[in-house]
Amino acid sequence: MSNISRRFAMLLVGAAGLAALAAPVLAQDAKFYSGAPRTYLYNPDTDVCFKDTSQYKKEGPYTIGFSNAGLGDSWRVVMLHSMEASAAKHKDQIKKLIITDAGHDDAKQVADIQDLISRGVDLLIVSANTQQALDPAVSQAMAAGIPVVMVDRRVASDNFVTFVTASDAMMGRLFAQWIVEKLGGKGNVIMLAGQAGSSPSENREKPAREVFAQYPGIKVLETVYSDWSPVKGKQVMQAMIAKYGKQINAVWSAHGLQTPGSIEAFIEAGYKDGEIPPHTTADVNGPLQMAIEHKVPMLEVGYPPAMGGISVDVALQVLAGAPVPCIYTINSQIAVSEGDNTPSIETPLRLTDLVVPKGAPDMLITGGMGPDYDPKTFKVDYPQ
Amino acid sequence: MTALAPIRLSSRVRKNQGVLVVAVLLVILLIFGAFISDRFRTTSNILNIFEQSTGLALVSLGQTLAILTGGIDLSVGSMISLLSTLTSGLIAGKVSMVPPVAIGILLLGLLIGICNGLLIIWLRVHPLIVTLGMSAVLQGIVLLYSLGPAGSVPPSFNFLAYGKVLGLPIGAVFILVLFLLVALFLRYARLGRYIYAVGDDEVGARLMGLPRARVMLTVYGFSGFCCGLAAIYLTSRFSVGQPYTGLNYTLASITPVVVGGTLLSGGKGGVFGTLLGVYLISLLNNVLNFMDVSMHYQLIAQGLIVIAAVSVYVEKKKRV
Repeated sequence: MSNISRRFAMLLVGAAGLAALAAPVLAQDAKFYSGAPRTYLYNPDTDVCFKDTSQYKKEGPYTIGFSNAGLGDSWRVVMLHSMEASAAKHKDQIKKLIITDAGHDDAKQVADIQDLISRGVDLLIVSANTQQALDPAVSQAMAAGIPVVMVDRRVASDNFVTFVTASDAMMGRLFAQWIVEKLGGKGNVIMLAGQAGSSPSENREKPAREVFAQYPGIKVLETVYSDWSPVKGKQVMQAMIAKYGKQINAVWSAHGLQTPGSIEAFIEAGYKDGEIPPHTTADVNGPLQMAIEHKVPMLEVGYPPAMGGISVDVALQVLAGAPVPCIYTINSQIAVSEGDNTPSIETPLRLTDLVVPKGAPDMLITGGMGPDYDPKTFKVDYPQ
Repeated sequence: MTALAPIRLSSRVRKNQGVLVVAVLLVILLIFGAFISDRFRTTSNILNIFEQSTGLALVSLGQTLAILTGGIDLSVGSMISLLSTLTSGLIAGKVSMVPPVAIGILLLGLLIGICNGLLIIWLRVHPLIVTLGMSAVLQGIVLLYSLGPAGSVPPSFNFLAYGKVLGLPIGAVFILVLFLLVALFLRYARLGRYIYAVGDDEVGARLMGLPRARVMLTVYGFSGFCCGLAAIYLTSRFSVGQPYTGLNYTLASITPVVVGGTLLSGGKGGVFGTLLGVYLISLLNNVLNFMDVSMHYQLIAQGLIVIAAVSVYVEKKKRV
């Protein structure tokens, strides 16, 4: 693709597509960000990778197959629900959304993909159980002329049309930058990471460390691992509080799953409301409820399961033959506790706008499913 | 239904070693599938099912022999994980490394299996315990070797799993040949018949002076060899080996054996039943996928089939 003007034209069409797409389900309130992906708009590179999808252009209505790696945690349940809701919204264009679930088994997912191809799907959405093992199966689907849209978990090669995801790096940086500015460039931080060696945790930790390193007054006391669990998160933070006590000025948490455990540890150590150091969080209702109740300064940047629904929108864009970015980074909603905007993190959204006050603490609030959503009773009439 | 019916069924089944029942079930499922969807009937779908059965067929073949002696091999899952991780780790993307590594992996599988056999003979501990222990040891070793996907294989290596010869998937055709050879061995070789004898009546076999040690080394060595084959096949299918690749195969490998009519107590059954059992499970998963049945029900269906199969085939005198 050396033709510059052609590429430029594609870029324009693509950008228009992005903007049209990006008015997703979350737009119920003007405070919520509903624009085009920030990572795309703010990207300083002139050349952004776009995929030409004209070869996949097809008349609808379509049969779309979704090969899911598996369920098993609340994030993946909401992701699936948001996909079903999106398919229901596009009933006019989608004849059938066939969903398979591999139960986190590579062999089953390879067979599922083959079965979906046998069933004559027009497009495949795949959330790969593991990056490498699913690569041959996904590559073969592409070779057979079936476009593949990856969501949340990609395959190792680039043999797919686009990958719908959120940015771990952006989360990690925003969390760290906010902490730096909350502390006025001086203080001690505990990094409460996820699982040692897991890519979402590492991809948030590394950019965060780079941010902290730029401020000589900021010291990362220790990095501890919660395995994404509030119970383990509480245990390790109890140990940290015993060791460092009031020296801890902020807790950088890689996600909201472990944040409640950390806040509980501070409460049980005798910290009064308003004394608990600033925390970061993502996606989960509980930490927001606790932050509001105990006046904990908090920043929320989600890794939204709403990407399930957006992958359906992107799939329709591909089948319409419009160019799509090679990596589609969806927006996270950014919210802070009252009065805790900082120069870099300036957002109209407050924790109180996101929280479901009477909702279950383990509920995910970034699925774009609206305020009445309850994963236990959710049912939508999608084309199946 | 009279109370006699199941008993009569079970005695008839025993005579035909279950092969007939599974064959009938297979036909019923095929007809059923054809009614559900036009696309089910396509050649490409039927070939898919044929192809998807290869990995399971390889592991279950070795497992059948172990179970025929009245034992069991619970180390197959970890062995596959170890061997497949080593396959891609040692090939490391180099075409020239493929033949030596493939041969080495098969020999290593054989060797680990023989170790299982030796431990069973020397320690006189039930194979269940020996192979369970071996399973943990092997899982530990593979995790020490690599915590994630190791190395890579050249793209042409995928041919083993996805390639076709005369329009038929290579692996699936290989399976047919291999099962035929093993069936002939069991029927005509003296050692093959000893396998049944040891499983049927271990004490009697010992009194008659049958070479129990040789039988054990053969079946567990062969099971290890089959794991080597499965590991190479799966590495080709996934283009990489990972430390948990084989995890599901331990239990999965037992299902087709018992569904195919081989008694868990040993001595009765055979590899054709197992092969049909493998096809039945692949077909069932495919049909359930076509019916949009969620994988959670697929698990339940498989579990119920195992229980039903064992209860139909179990020998009356050994019933508890």
